[in-house]
Amino acid sequence: MSYGTLLFLHVLSAFALVTSVGMLVAIALALRGGRYTGAASSLVPLAGVLAPIGGLGTIIFGIWLAVHVSGYSLTNGWIIAAIVLWFVGLGLGGQIGAGYRRARADGTLAVDSTTLMTHLLLVLIVAAILIDMIYKPGAS
Amino acid sequence: MILMIRPDTWNLPVLVHVAGAMALVASVTVVAVVFVTGWRTSDPGAAAALQRFGARTLLFAVLPSFLVMRIGAEWALSKENLSNSNASWIGIGFGVADFGGLLMLIAIIIANIGARRAREGGMSVLTKIATAISLLLLVGYVIAIWAMTSKPS
Repeated sequence: MSYGTLLFLHVLSAFALVTSVGMLVAIALALRGGRYTGAASSLVPLAGVLAPIGGLGTIIFGIWLAVHVSGYSLTNGWIIAAIVLWFVGLGLGGQIGAGYRRARADGTLAVDSTTLMTHLLLVLIVAAILIDMIYKPGAS
Repeated sequence: MILMIRPDTWNLPVLVHVAGAMALVASVTVVAVVFVTGWRTSDPGAAAALQRFGARTLLFAVLPSFLVMRIGAEWALSKENLSNSNASWIGIGFGVADFGGLLMLIAIIIANIGARRAREGGMSVLTKIATAISLLLLVGYVIAIWAMTSKPS
């Protein structure tokens, strides 16, 4: 596969992943006032589909790129940092998503301050991955 | 493939552009899902609430994200001395951003008018048009992502 195609698939997956995070934030905001429970409920299924597709695509095509491009290595600090942050994000996103899916099935969709904090943490993790990917600290 | 590292001074504009683009795609997706759900529901009250949420998302999330993405794009191009470039990937990016921006403005206006009319019940025709625009924008954004990453000559 060419570099351009690999990069497209990696970045497209990243957009899908960020979209799923954006949808989780939208769900939390929709639930906060209690007026838009229907909107929140409508977003849960697609967020649940985009998160694993985007997550897996990002890591698979990212590692593929690191192996494909001479000069990149899986042992580069910025790549290791991205993988570690990806796993942390996976844990947080999985926790939030599972909570919403359970609550939607029970008909008890709601958001508390702990869940809001988890969302904020997830957004910060995703932002940190994006900064790491663009600045590539330590790459020469 | 050889390693490509961009100069440090280019990183911040690129970060602003990409972050804005990601927020834009995420918020337009939220709008599309909410509007499609509103279109399909048979409950007029639920449809009205979904239209209001979608219209507000267009105004308070899609529009600011678009501005961040577009300003970041101009900033990145000026840093990279590509402002007068004829490269097709830049042309595709501008085409999608600017034509998409026009469609987005139309969607914001008609969706907010549609959300007000929706108080009378059901999904308004204006919001249905905004739904179609939001889906069209998503297709355009995937093409733009392809152009930005594959950089066809």
